[in-house]
Amino acid sequence: MEYLLMYTQGKDPLPYDPADDNIAEWAADTQSRGVSEYGERLRPGEDATTVKVRDGNVLLTEGPFTEAKEWVGGFDIIQCRDLDEAIGIASRHPAARFGSAEVRPFMVWPDAAPGYRVVPPGFPERPTKGKRYLMLVCVDPDAELDGPGDADPWVEEMDGRGVRLFGEVLRPPADATQVMARDGRVVVSDGPFTEAKEWIAGIDFLEVRDLDEAVEVAAAHPMARGGLMVLTPAWPFDVEDDHVERARREASELGKRSEPGVGVAH
Amino acid sequence: MAEDAAAGAFERALTTWPRDGVPRNPAAWLTTAARNLALDRLRRRGVETGKLQEWTTMEDARGRTPDDPAERAVGDPDWDDRLRLIFTCAHPALPLEARVALTLRTVGGLSTLEVAKAFLVNESTMAQRIVRAKEKITNAAIPYEVPAPDALPERLDAVLAVLYLIYNEGYKATSGTSLQRPDLATEAIRLARLLVGLLPDPEPVALLALMLLQHARAATRVDEAGDLVPLEDQDRSRWDGSEITEGLALLEASAGRRRGAYRVQAEIQAVHALAPYASDTDWPAILSRYEELPDAPIVELNRAIAVGMADGPQAGLAALARLAASGRLDGYHLLPAAQADLSRRAGLHAAAAAHYRAAIGLAPTEPERRYLERRLAAVEV
Repeated sequence: MEYLLMYTQGKDPLPYDPADDNIAEWAADTQSRGVSEYGERLRPGEDATTVKVRDGNVLLTEGPFTEAKEWVGGFDIIQCRDLDEAIGIASRHPAARFGSAEVRPFMVWPDAAPGYRVVPPGFPERPTKGKRYLMLVCVDPDAELDGPGDADPWVEEMDGRGVRLFGEVLRPPADATQVMARDGRVVVSDGPFTEAKEWIAGIDFLEVRDLDEAVEVAAAHPMARGGLMVLTPAWPFDVEDDHVERARREASELGKRSEPGVGVAH
Repeated sequence: MAEDAAAGAFERALTTWPRDGVPRNPAAWLTTAARNLALDRLRRRGVETGKLQEWTTMEDARGRTPDDPAERAVGDPDWDDRLRLIFTCAHPALPLEARVALTLRTVGGLSTLEVAKAFLVNESTMAQRIVRAKEKITNAAIPYEVPAPDALPERLDAVLAVLYLIYNEGYKATSGTSLQRPDLATEAIRLARLLVGLLPDPEPVALLALMLLQHARAATRVDEAGDLVPLEDQDRSRWDGSEITEGLALLEASAGRRRGAYRVQAEIQAVHALAPYASDTDWPAILSRYEELPDAPIVELNRAIAVGMADGPQAGLAALARLAASGRLDGYHLLPAAQADLSRRAGLHAAAAAHYRAAIGLAPTEPERRYLERRLAAVEV
């Protein structure tokens, strides 16, 4: 079973403690277990851009689709035996100690090719060629889908252009599980991290020239005409870094936009 | 693969039982079903056997037994499917109401209609809840197995919480016209007994003892008119001696082992059970047990009552006033009810009347409301 882990602040966040951030250890552990497919840290919520298309107009909003505290700060895609193993992996991630990790299964298609994985083999070693964004495909239950909903042509086109690195549909929020670690105990509960009416239906990982191209790619997705697309830039770091120094550096970077400004809406 | 097969068996259990009824031996039935499914799939997908073998070897290297139901059923005759079922049904990734419903439905063997009636929802709502939970078990791959040792304590807590919730719903209905729903209380005791048989850990034993010691008083908690009879007015000769004996024996047998919250609560019930008359109750012993329990508003409420009984009503009222000021139990009828009772004991009739009125306004069941109204009338005379 493949799961997406999404790290958020959760309902009951604790202040970040760099001394308790053992991400390098966690990464080494998941690598050695052979469960990790790919993961990335994401830039803060204020660097996110929400894209939707209504009546043919591309509408952009700065920030994630919900309150700022509910942004996804990072993700991992793991392949493991069952939910209990996924919960164990999520609970050991430092983000589960400060915030919360959502464990969401990917959709399993009956006609999937044998050995199919969300992240193509060898992907993590691939050199980065452009700017990478996580695109959250969100359903807005209040909006009607305007036009055909089949995303296959979009997938084909964006794969062909080399801007879509991978992506998959997720099981609905009812199949989500929240995992937190507090006082040495693993706290598990049901449901998605956000109480917003919009819900995350899938993800795509993009590699583009700049935000404008990311917006163009997102706006072309059929779900943009009824749902919304949240583009958050990846914020890679080297796990070999001195993480205390890294935390200090990041703290000083917080709030500073490093992304090119959003272009005029088409 | 194994999980897949087990989930399939689970699914079949859930879809077949409503039609065919619960099989006489669910454990054996599920074992056979899982085994057949596994063998069936192995045959159908012969190419994958190599992968399965590799996977079982990997499991062995990690010091755990192979989880393939077919192998387990053949290799280990003691493998009890019901324990797996209990842990799966009470998995904390499921919504709480679904855990309770699934446990009653599949482990307890109640019909969907019975579960629906017990929780005062209609049958289709309950059926929907069970279907949803079943889907999550399959879709999120909630494993059908007893958790690994490192996760066991937390997962066992989740199981105990579900059983105690079922018991409490039977012991003291949270809404409705009747104070007790004995079917749920006895069902919870039956389930706890089953769990103790499968996993004789100190906390399941303590939970069973707690349920038995409380349940021993069930017949005396309401009078012929269905009205609530408080602990001190109950006819103790009518308490169920066999349940008390069994509860006390369970506590004694597990004495000296880990003292969890259920054990402490069971010991409090034991103090009541051992007092021939209400006036003999060893309140200081009860108070010292409450000091051991983790801090929670409901524990604080009970502790304040114990303070009132051990050290005099004024001391109890002071503790209750602090709790009321904290606002942590706002809207909970037993807070003003406790204030009313200790005020009455302190001879403060006007204050007692005011608290009874507040409690009446908040009382969730008819018998409790009638009881509080009688008490109010008594202090107003």
